[in-house]
Amino acid sequence: MKILVVDDSKLARLFLIKTLRELEPGVEILEAENGLVAVELFKEHRPSAVFLDLTMPVMDGYEALKEIMQINPKAQVVVVSADIQTQAQEMVLALGAKMMVPKPINVDKMASVLQQLSI
Amino acid sequence: MEQREFSEDHLDILRELMNIAMGNATASIADLLQAFGKMHIPKILISDMEGLHEYIRSAIPDNQRHYVTKQLFGGFFSGEFLFVISEESALNLGHHLYDVTQPSDGDILDAVVELTNILSATIISRLTEELNTKVQFFVPSTDLIAGNDLISPEDLLNYHSIIIINTRMEFQNHNINGQIFILTKDEMIDSLKALIDRKLEELYA
Repeated sequence: MKILVVDDSKLARLFLIKTLRELEPGVEILEAENGLVAVELFKEHRPSAVFLDLTMPVMDGYEALKEIMQINPKAQVVVVSADIQTQAQEMVLALGAKMMVPKPINVDKMASVLQQLSI
Repeated sequence: MEQREFSEDHLDILRELMNIAMGNATASIADLLQAFGKMHIPKILISDMEGLHEYIRSAIPDNQRHYVTKQLFGGFFSGEFLFVISEESALNLGHHLYDVTQPSDGDILDAVVELTNILSATIISRLTEELNTKVQFFVPSTDLIAGNDLISPEDLLNYHSIIIINTRMEFQNHNINGQIFILTKDEMIDSLKALIDRKLEELYA
């Protein structure tokens, strides 16, 4: 199973990866520091799921989500963001994200997220 | 401006924690204004006073008047929270919150102080919660200042090395924009570094 983790913060990626590996030790992780790199990696590797931050330089999460959903309308994208506004959640769900979870994401929350994804 | 004493990891974690704190604050303000706020990536710099002046000059236009609210906070991590909002944005804020065309100066001031209280309490509390520490807040003061001389000469005497955490809040539909600065003094750089080190240890454990 391949999972793409997208966040401009190296430590936020590390934290998410650590949490993912606690639950899925064999998972193959791809990392991107912005939306543009994420879209390229998504095209090349077609990961089973994407964990996507919203506020990033170069290309933000909204734009990356749009492009990923154009590449594969069935892509399983989980938005992990500090932006907890209802409208932000509505926007990402309308763009095709599976769900949106607030940062920081702990092991229990991650377990529930993985359960809800068909991977 | 040099980034002394803080490694890239320290700055990265501080930026990320600030991002989480700002997310909470934006949501609270969005509820208050019933509007969607755009989040920006926080900038974090370690600077001296001269650097702070240069930074403020580049970040705040000098051709407008600004409401500047300052609030001190104290604890293992202490410093000063500054919220800067242009007179025009403050008028729009008062207009929106009080639902009147021409809010009084008192109404505008009240709205700015209320907004600052929500911002400082949410941001600093969330930041310190993530760093496993607590702070106490002091009464804020607000001044209408012409240009961008936000820091008085007296204030300069209190600071040497400063951590500048700067971000913007933007509610475009209501034309309400503000800038946030969190300033801390010399010894706090060590305190903050120790708190972040503890957080990093947890992360790498």
